[in-house]
Amino acid sequence: MGQPRVFLLDDHELIRSGIRSELAGQVDLVGEADEVDAGAQMILERSPDVVLLDVHMPDGGGLEVLRRVHHVDPSVNFLALSVSDAAEDVIAIVRAGARGYVTKNISGADLIDAVYRVAAGDAVFSPRLAGFVLDAFAETDPALAALSSDPELDQLTPRERQVLRLIARGYAYKDIATELAISVKTVESHVSSVLRKLQLSNRHQLTHWAADRRLS
Amino acid sequence: MIDPDRLDGYPPTGGHATGPKELSLILGVAQPPLHRATRGAILGGVCAGMAVRLGVRERTVRLLFVLGTLFYGAGPLLYVAVWLFLTRAGETASIADRLSQKRRAMLVTVWSAIIVLAILLATRSLAWQGTGGFVWSVVVSGIGLMFVWRGASSDERAHIEAILDASPVVGGAKARGARALVLRVIPGIVLVVVALIILSRVSGVWGAVVPALVGAAVLSGGLLILLAPWWLENVRDLTKERRARVRMEERTALIAHVHDSVLQTLTLIERNAGSEADVVRLARSQERELRGWLFDPDALNASHRASETLASMLATIQADVERDYNTPVELVTVGDCPVNDDVLALVGATREACVNAAKWSGAANVSVYAEVEPSSLSVFVRDTGRGFDPDAVAPDRQGIKVSIRDRVAQHGGSVTIRTGTDSGTEVALVMARSAK
Repeated sequence: MGQPRVFLLDDHELIRSGIRSELAGQVDLVGEADEVDAGAQMILERSPDVVLLDVHMPDGGGLEVLRRVHHVDPSVNFLALSVSDAAEDVIAIVRAGARGYVTKNISGADLIDAVYRVAAGDAVFSPRLAGFVLDAFAETDPALAALSSDPELDQLTPRERQVLRLIARGYAYKDIATELAISVKTVESHVSSVLRKLQLSNRHQLTHWAADRRLS
Repeated sequence: MIDPDRLDGYPPTGGHATGPKELSLILGVAQPPLHRATRGAILGGVCAGMAVRLGVRERTVRLLFVLGTLFYGAGPLLYVAVWLFLTRAGETASIADRLSQKRRAMLVTVWSAIIVLAILLATRSLAWQGTGGFVWSVVVSGIGLMFVWRGASSDERAHIEAILDASPVVGGAKARGARALVLRVIPGIVLVVVALIILSRVSGVWGAVVPALVGAAVLSGGLLILLAPWWLENVRDLTKERRARVRMEERTALIAHVHDSVLQTLTLIERNAGSEADVVRLARSQERELRGWLFDPDALNASHRASETLASMLATIQADVERDYNTPVELVTVGDCPVNDDVLALVGATREACVNAAKWSGAANVSVYAEVEPSSLSVFVRDTGRGFDPDAVAPDRQGIKVSIRDRVAQHGGSVTIRTGTDSGTEVALVMARSAK
């Protein structure tokens, strides 16, 4: 695989120029936009591998872009970028289809790493996102779990929990692999599986938890 | 002070003093002065001392005293008399001399003796047929012992206390194990049984009073002997232990606080020595905090409790460390809980770990992960910096020990520190959640 084709969507010029300089030479930057309408249209036209998507923008923000693009062209992978610490924004954008979430204070190397990961179809979990997911999938008592319509989707496996905890503690994937004596590939597959559950689960805590925070 | 027992030429008190060489030395050179011995003494050192003076075995002297008991109890009487009037080796005055100078002690003892005698006479215990002389000897010896105790030097008192502690019935506080138990319980049971027999033989109205009193007294004595050591021991141990623990806890809390606030601020001031404004700001905020803590620590804690949770306190730490050390802190919390003493300790340790990571590791950022589970609280503070050698930390650098380990341990938690020269450091703090 050559350099992934990246589209940048952020309403702040300063942020865009910062990211541009971080990514320069490492990825193929195919375009950028500063508002939802134009951005969604350009993304559909150019079909990049990865969209770096600002969560907070006027006119519906990143969520609106995801809604417009995701059904039409599922091959576009979204990586959410945010200064937001709010769980509701992050969970909403991941449930809407983003394959990962990083904060804007991420280092250049980590950002490039994340872009490549998302381009390859993997998930990218920042420590914060891992924490949110652990919160949303908090262990329940067995009686409640038995009511679940789809137990496989509605619960994390112990291994997935371990991986998420290590991410939350600031471990890189290769550190996690060493710690748990598994391969990096296996770590990635655990994370992808968590992402799938996060997007598809109807787990009542998750919906309840999301509703509490005004999510759909 | 000269200890005559130790002078060369005197026969040792070990019981083999009758060899021809030693004997000739004694006879030819000098007569050892008559003292109560300190070495080889069982009670007052009377027998051992006399053995030295006479150049015979201690065992012989002791046997004579025991045999003397058969002559109307003369043995004990003589023993106590010698104890009172003979100077102890290494001391300048006998117990009698000393007592005669301490008027108050003398008076108290005399009056106690008179009261004891009066009670004994009134209850006519001394008129028991056939044993009259023996009983008198025991009573007078007992009174003599009261004088001995009153007048003994502090050295000798310590010696007597040691004897009491080591003796099976009275001691017991220090003696543990099955043997001590048996030695304590048997005399106690014997006394209780004797008391019951006396009480069962009581008949008539007026004639019953005296035996009843004696029986009751013996019964109480028996019970006292049976139970007192346990009671005393428990009370003493508990109080001592409680005091020590409270002192220890206060000390740890104090050290941890001084370290966290004052020492850390001083370090910050050192670093910002160039900037007058920063130094003033730091000093002022530290002053405010210290005042608050010194003069109203409870209010400070209470206000923490009212408004804060674990997550909000950790967020404060994040902000403080980012501001003071210019190092980003990635904070992730899963779950939350209200603040109590345990949480305060955990948060304090977390702050210390964060500050250490920001200050020493050289890492670009610090990760803090806290998880609240139904049964436990855990916090992980991790950096990818240069790590450190825990054994090489200078002993006066108490941050890890006092502010992290001791503090968490005191609240029943555990601390694990993983560190390596190129893998960074992770401090794991785990604490069980109390039910309260």
